[in-house]
Amino acid sequence: MNDLVDVPAATTGQPLVGESVQPDTTSVPIKPVLRVNGLKKAYRKHTLSVPVLHGVNLNVDPGEFVSIVGQSGSGKSTLLHLIGLLDANDSGSIEFEGRRIDNLPTSQRDKIRNEAFGFVFQFYHLLPELTALENVLLPLMIGKGPFGWLVSRGRAVTRAQELLERVGLGHRIDHKPRELSGGEMQRTALARALITKPRLLLADEPTGNLDDESGADVIRLLRTLNREEGLTILMVTHNLEITKDTDRLVRLSKGLVVDEELHPAA
Amino acid sequence: MYKVLLCLRYLQTRWLAMICIVSVMLGVATLIVVNSVMNGFSTKLRDRLHGLLSDIVIEAYDYDGFLDPKAKMARIMADPYLAKNIESMAPTLEIFAMLQYAYHDVPFTRSIRLIGIDPKSRAEVGGFSEFLTQPDRKAKPSFDLSPDAKARQAKNHVMDRKPTYFQELPTDPSAPPPPEPPPSKPHEPHGLIIGHAIAHFRDRTAGSEGQVKDIRALEPGDDVIITTVSGQKLSPVVDRFAVADYFRSEMSEYDSMYVFVPIDHLQKLRTMEDRVTSILVRLKNFDEAPGVVARLKTVLKNEPVEVQTWEQKQGALLAAIRVEKGILNILLFMIIGVAGFGILAIFTMIVAEKTRDIGILKALGASRFGVMQIFLGYGLLLGLVGCLLGTAMGLAITHNINEIESFIGGLTGQELFPRDIYYFDKIPTDVHPMGVLFVNIGAVLIAVAFSLLPAFRAASLNPVRALRYE
Repeated sequence: MNDLVDVPAATTGQPLVGESVQPDTTSVPIKPVLRVNGLKKAYRKHTLSVPVLHGVNLNVDPGEFVSIVGQSGSGKSTLLHLIGLLDANDSGSIEFEGRRIDNLPTSQRDKIRNEAFGFVFQFYHLLPELTALENVLLPLMIGKGPFGWLVSRGRAVTRAQELLERVGLGHRIDHKPRELSGGEMQRTALARALITKPRLLLADEPTGNLDDESGADVIRLLRTLNREEGLTILMVTHNLEITKDTDRLVRLSKGLVVDEELHPAA
Repeated sequence: MYKVLLCLRYLQTRWLAMICIVSVMLGVATLIVVNSVMNGFSTKLRDRLHGLLSDIVIEAYDYDGFLDPKAKMARIMADPYLAKNIESMAPTLEIFAMLQYAYHDVPFTRSIRLIGIDPKSRAEVGGFSEFLTQPDRKAKPSFDLSPDAKARQAKNHVMDRKPTYFQELPTDPSAPPPPEPPPSKPHEPHGLIIGHAIAHFRDRTAGSEGQVKDIRALEPGDDVIITTVSGQKLSPVVDRFAVADYFRSEMSEYDSMYVFVPIDHLQKLRTMEDRVTSILVRLKNFDEAPGVVARLKTVLKNEPVEVQTWEQKQGALLAAIRVEKGILNILLFMIIGVAGFGILAIFTMIVAEKTRDIGILKALGASRFGVMQIFLGYGLLLGLVGCLLGTAMGLAITHNINEIESFIGGLTGQELFPRDIYYFDKIPTDVHPMGVLFVNIGAVLIAVAFSLLPAFRAASLNPVRALRYE
């Protein structure tokens, strides 16, 4: 099961999509996999500008499990969307594995989202027309052309089945999302996020729509993946209870990081 | 690969897509049926016109005609190129006339086109003997009356013969014998071949289930009186003829106007011996027509005649058919255009419904173009399925159009295809594979074109807004 997630490229020297990496000759012990500098974002409606992020700074180390908390409207989801390249920032920068990614062309941003990031959303966001297995395979299908997909289909299906087994859904691979419970859908979404062996998992309120037990299952899974396979996770939540299991807590308020708290025992 | 998978899944799961498919299907089926029927009519009309007119017509400028057709034909056949290409020729003499006959003692008068022909040579040119109704005459065309017709003629004219019902008066044996009466021979009229629609009435109430029935007003052997004009002063001339056979070409215009009589008799009647109004020419191969026309014009350079192919002679009618077909096709493509707007509306709805899915796909790395391709592919798929079903439906309807027509006619009591307009027994159809292909390509293009806008809209969606869409 060790190959379910990729070891971060910053530690392996793996290049970012479409770019070459210069050999690191310095002797810095740990280089952050993600570095956010002075990130600002405002939403505009006609002439009205609503600032959401006022200059967020954040570093995430390889293999770290970071949770971001804050009240509604604090900008935590916006921050996650900007980091996940789902939206464009107004100013500041986002570096991933030592490279700035927020100013890349659309095609490279698409490729990073597909290959380097894994997403887990509050509302699961599975495609209702596809089975659990097909939903898990979707990022691989998107990443490969028809010919590439046909060549690698067998391996991809085996891997998707393994992932579904790992999240406890080996018996439900042919079920459509409407036939699954909330917890099962979220575990399917987690398997989908892991299929491309992401170097950073972005989770937006992963337990927000689940009961306590299912939510705890999902957090346990995330923690296991983080500990056993070194998966870097950035999770946004408003549930302080589940942040106890994370390495670090970042508190966001009114678009700024106001507090950070380490959980060395987690 | 995800694009194909999603296209197929959307097709299977969205009933709205079925509406698009049905619209395309109906549009395609309508176009195929209408085109096939129009092609059928057009082909049959062309065949009839071609048959009746032969390949090339050498025609006088007026009804006085031109002299000595035999000499002209001999001159034509003396040319090696023409002799090589011409199969046969037939002189004809054509004039307007009035025809009268009595049906149940009520006189009926019709205007007709009186055509003098030599049945043998006219049959060789084609478009004549095959339209006669008596089998023997088809094989050996003539104006002779059949024995039955002769019997009817004799019965009709019983008064013409020597009366037998008066008792012979006793004669005085000593008296000198009475003078011999002048030789009397009943006048035997010439036979004529009359257009089927002139000799028949149509009774719409006689048949059952909307069928019409032909009531024969003139039996073979019955008399008809024909009045036409003669000489320079256009003096009226009258003669009596007897019906020998009917001419049924299934072309209303001809069947209701044409009356054929022996050419030599008509020449005598009109005092225009050895004059004809046209020579019909049949070629061995119609492809040679332009060359033959050019050569005929050279050979007959100083003659008062015009040389035309049958297509040139009927140019206006054929052009009208072409224009009619073109306009109809444009109008019918508008039906598919309407289907296209249906696709546009439904696709816009589907894009709205699938907004969140589009956000998910983009979050997972799908490109703008990839998302666009899903909806373009979806449009293509709907178009293809609609076309496939529409083609099958169109061909099935075309194949069974007469059964469908009689079924609907039976249900409504209204004859959908009045056979007296064309005198076709059945609705003619002619499926052109290339036409079907063009209809399909057009329909698929329209389906894809109308899915462009929704596809572009889907591709332009902001993923964050799409993910938050409820």
